[in-house]
Amino acid sequence: MAKVYNWQLGREMDYRFDNGNAKWQFAAVFNTNRCIACQTCTMACKTTWTFSPGQELMWWNNVETKPYGGYPQNWDVKVLDLQEKANPGGQVWDRSVPLTTRAPYGTFDGKTVFETADGLTKMVTGYTPTQEEWKAPNIHEDSATKFPKDGVQLPVHDGWFFYLQRICNHCTYPACLAACPRNAIYKREEDGIVLIDQGRCRGYRKCVDACPYKKSMYRPNTRTSEKCIGCFPRVEGSDPLTEGLPMETRCMTACIGKIRLQGLAKVDDAGLWVEDPTNPLYFLVHVEKVALPLYPQFGTQPNVYYIPPRWVPRDYLKQMFGPGVDHAIERYSNPSRELLAVLQLFRASQTIVFSFKIEKGPKIQELSLNGVVHEIYDDVVVGYDSQGREVVRVGVEEKVFERPQQFTMNTI
Amino acid sequence: MKMPAMVRRRMPTLLVLALVLATAGILQLTNANPAASQSLMLISRAASSDPGLDPNAAVWNESASIDVPLTAQQQAYPIGGGSIATISAKSLHRDGNLYVRVEWTDATQDDSTLKVENFSDAVALEFPASASATVPSICMGQVGAGVNIWQWRADSQVGHGDPSERYPNLWVERYPGDGPEFYTARAAGNPYALADGGPVQDLVAASFGNIGPAGSQTVQGQGVYQAGKWAVVFARPLNPGDASLTAFHETGTTDLAFAVWDGSLSERNGQKSVSAFVRIHIFPGDAGGSATPAWLIALGLLVGLSGLGVGLAVIGTRSGAK
Repeated sequence: MAKVYNWQLGREMDYRFDNGNAKWQFAAVFNTNRCIACQTCTMACKTTWTFSPGQELMWWNNVETKPYGGYPQNWDVKVLDLQEKANPGGQVWDRSVPLTTRAPYGTFDGKTVFETADGLTKMVTGYTPTQEEWKAPNIHEDSATKFPKDGVQLPVHDGWFFYLQRICNHCTYPACLAACPRNAIYKREEDGIVLIDQGRCRGYRKCVDACPYKKSMYRPNTRTSEKCIGCFPRVEGSDPLTEGLPMETRCMTACIGKIRLQGLAKVDDAGLWVEDPTNPLYFLVHVEKVALPLYPQFGTQPNVYYIPPRWVPRDYLKQMFGPGVDHAIERYSNPSRELLAVLQLFRASQTIVFSFKIEKGPKIQELSLNGVVHEIYDDVVVGYDSQGREVVRVGVEEKVFERPQQFTMNTI
Repeated sequence: MKMPAMVRRRMPTLLVLALVLATAGILQLTNANPAASQSLMLISRAASSDPGLDPNAAVWNESASIDVPLTAQQQAYPIGGGSIATISAKSLHRDGNLYVRVEWTDATQDDSTLKVENFSDAVALEFPASASATVPSICMGQVGAGVNIWQWRADSQVGHGDPSERYPNLWVERYPGDGPEFYTARAAGNPYALADGGPVQDLVAASFGNIGPAGSQTVQGQGVYQAGKWAVVFARPLNPGDASLTAFHETGTTDLAFAVWDGSLSERNGQKSVSAFVRIHIFPGDAGGSATPAWLIALGLLVGLSGLGVGLAVIGTRSGAK
């Protein structure tokens, strides 16, 4: 076992291999507050990658309803249960340490899925879901915990549910990669995307067993496992639409709720994100800390970050997104001028935005919410591509256009 | 006739000797070998007729079996297995082909990997690759001393077509693309993913984690599950014409190891019951029965050893009489 640094846990941890050499890391931010579970992302992925015989139950992207739903069913509570049994009462965080970019959420004092495994029969604590459990990508859709007669109100709803959007997390320390006895799984240096080599896989399904997010999936007619490929041809820039520039994935660009933003974060030799407050991902994750990793305590350092839903009980959210939840919800509920501007970049462009600049605009509104006065400014956020060229320009105030009168008679 | 005193005195010894010889003779005649683990030499004799791939072919009665003990694989991640205690093996050769028949007890017939939680029963034979400079590690060989592995899988024998073949009520509105390029692993050249790849794979390895298909696939095989047992026959030309694979020679001896997977216990990869290396010796002989039947050897042995015992007893009696 090698020692690697997991900044989401604020500490070193055991991993089968040394720190990888990814120079850039595929990462995304999902705003759970905005999702309506229309599954457009799910179908965009399905119709691009998994529409063939043998892939019927395979949903690389799915949106599930929490707390009851899961694809495969109960995947997260099953892994949490295995971890709790392996380290009873010990899966806790220490928030007394200084919160830096090396430990933004504190230090996790518990054990990761690598640290609870024996390294002989398993490299990773996990389980293999049955075929039955993979049959519904959004089972228990819209099932709330209860329906209070008097309705619900913030800060925490009495009856609640929310949508959790899930793809492969292209983890910095992938559990699937650590578990594969054939070394058929690899993480790409140029973008950190994790792939299963379809020429090498022999269908042992150790990756299916190991991935705590259950995003390695078995295909029975080729007897191999497949997984989300991060739309790597698009990220490489081989789609003609962006003329060679890195482009966001299908699930991201198809999102009609504008909840998704994906890009690449530059990574240093130690595996930390290089400080770059002008990169929208870095800004959201490390500056505002409004977006949090999914189940960071599993220890894989996942790279999809979630803005947690405002109305959900905090203890549930802290189990799911770690101890940074209170801060994230506070920042999202009382956004800074910069955050409000950067949130406008979500789905403003198919080309990956590598950096942004904010042009300040006039104050357009003043709101009083819960006794706090909020000033809204019509700032403009400008996004730049990998070459530093402007690709998008969006204002905080959504523009309204009226159709000129001469076009009212269906002349266009 | 009165028995000499010396013979009377030695009667218990003579009875024990006769009992031992008789027992040995009966064990040989019934093909049973309780000391198999101490004398693991699999003899491959010329068959009187073509054994083919049928494990139930009568010609297999011409071959004596050895019982090879198996243990859990404990050398490399993922360790496991140990559920199958013994595998029984026989071998024949004819017309330049080597045949190996193996049989083991398995309470469940696991021949489908249609579901993610299904794993297949399987068996493999491992030989040092001919180009090996030294005896390879039994654990998948090592660099410079690779191994040649023949693996038979129950699910491969059944075939692994599309789920719609197994689930007749499965309904999909339309597959936008179902051409060969959409079976990703097949399109990537993964022979393991082929629907018609056959039940046996000829594999080569030179360390953990790098097993791969041999350049030529000349091993055939067939398995039958009956009465709680799998019986599987492997067949391959003695000389495959490929330096990276194992070549067998008449009068030659080489190493052979076995591995068995029980699918019902989710055994796959390193999770398997494995043997130590045993030896396989190929006796020369023309096809058509030059092989001496086992019962004749046993009878000769019995007569010879009994004669020796009686002779010694008589000598002892005479010397005692002096």
